[in-house]
Amino acid sequence: MAGKKRDNALDERLDRLGQEVVRASAANEAEADAVDAQPFLYARVRARIAAERERREEGERWMPLLGIVWRAVPAMAMVTVFAFVIFWSTSMSTRSAGNLSVESLLGTRDTGIEQAVFADSQPLASDDEVLATILNEDEQGVSR
Amino acid sequence: MGEMADNSDSVNVQESAAQPTDEPSDLELVARVRQGHDEAFEELFNRHRRRVSLIASRFFRQHEQVEEVVQESFTKAYFALGDFSNAQEASFAAWLARIAFNSCYDELRRLKRRPESSLSNISEEESAWINEQLRAKGAGDDVETAAIARDLAGKLLSRLSPEDRMVLVMMDVEGLSVSEIAKINNWSSSKVKVRAHRARVSLRRVLERFL
Repeated sequence: MAGKKRDNALDERLDRLGQEVVRASAANEAEADAVDAQPFLYARVRARIAAERERREEGERWMPLLGIVWRAVPAMAMVTVFAFVIFWSTSMSTRSAGNLSVESLLGTRDTGIEQAVFADSQPLASDDEVLATILNEDEQGVSR
Repeated sequence: MGEMADNSDSVNVQESAAQPTDEPSDLELVARVRQGHDEAFEELFNRHRRRVSLIASRFFRQHEQVEEVVQESFTKAYFALGDFSNAQEASFAAWLARIAFNSCYDELRRLKRRPESSLSNISEEESAWINEQLRAKGAGDDVETAAIARDLAGKLLSRLSPEDRMVLVMMDVEGLSVSEIAKINNWSSSKVKVRAHRARVSLRRVLERFL
C-alpha cells in the first residue's frame, strides 16, 4: 500500500516534469519571430507554389498517355498472340499437306490431270520443239 | 524550464480580433483568390504568417525546419482553397492552423526516420538538471538554464512518436481541448484521450531513466 502511494506520487512528479519538458521544448518564439521577419518569405512561398503547379500539370500531361498505353498494351498482346497462333497453325498444315521429297521435286510428275484438261486443245509440244522455240526467240532478240 | 508558455503567444485557432471594417475579411480574400487574384493570397499570407510560424516553432527548434513548415503549409493552403468552405470550418484561421499542424506532423514523421540525437547524447549537465527537477529543488530562471532546458526537452521529446508529441504539445502548450484536437487531426475524441494517456506514459518512462 505504501509502495503504491509512493509510485503514484512519483508518477505525479514525472507527469508534472513531463509537462514542463513539453512547454520548454515549445518555448521557441525567437525562431518563429526570425522566420516571420524574413523579407523574402512570401517570394519563396510563391516559388514553391509555382513548382508544385508545374509538377501537377506535368502529371496531368502524362496521365492520358498512361491511359492509352494501359489500354493499348493488352490489345497489342492479343493481336500478337492471334498472329502467332495463325502462323503456327499455317506452318503445321503446310508441312502435313506437302511431302517435300526428292522424288516429288525432281521426279516425273503425274500429268494425267493436265492431259485430261488440255486434251481438246492443241497437242502438247515435245521437249525438242520447246527448246527450239526458246533458241529462236533468243536469236531474234540478239539480232534486234 | 520554469518559464510557462505565455498565453498571449499561444495560437488562438478561433478568429482573431475583429479586423477594421474597411479591410476585406478572410472569406472575401479567399473568394478573390479563387477568382484568380493572387494578390489576395499575399494579403492572407501576411495576416497569418506569424500564427503559422508559431505553430511550427512549437515542434521544431531549427530555423530551417520552421521555415520549411511555413512554406509547406501555405502551399497546401493555396491548392486547397477550392475545398475551403465557411459552412464547415469555424474560420479561415482555424482551417489554416489545421493545415499547419498537419504539416508539422508530416515533418515530424519524416524526421523520425532520421533522428538527430539519441538519449545517449544527453550531457551530464542535462542529466543533473532533470534530477534536480525530479527532486523538486527547481532550477534557476537564468538564460543558460533555459537554454539547457529547451535543448534537453527537444532531445527527450524526439524519443516520442510524432502522434504522442503532437497531442502533448496541443494540450499542454496550445491549451486545445480534446474536441479541438480531434477535429484538427481528424480523430475521434476517444482516440485523442487514449493517445494523450499513452503519450504521458511514454514520456514518464523516458524520464524514469534518470532516476
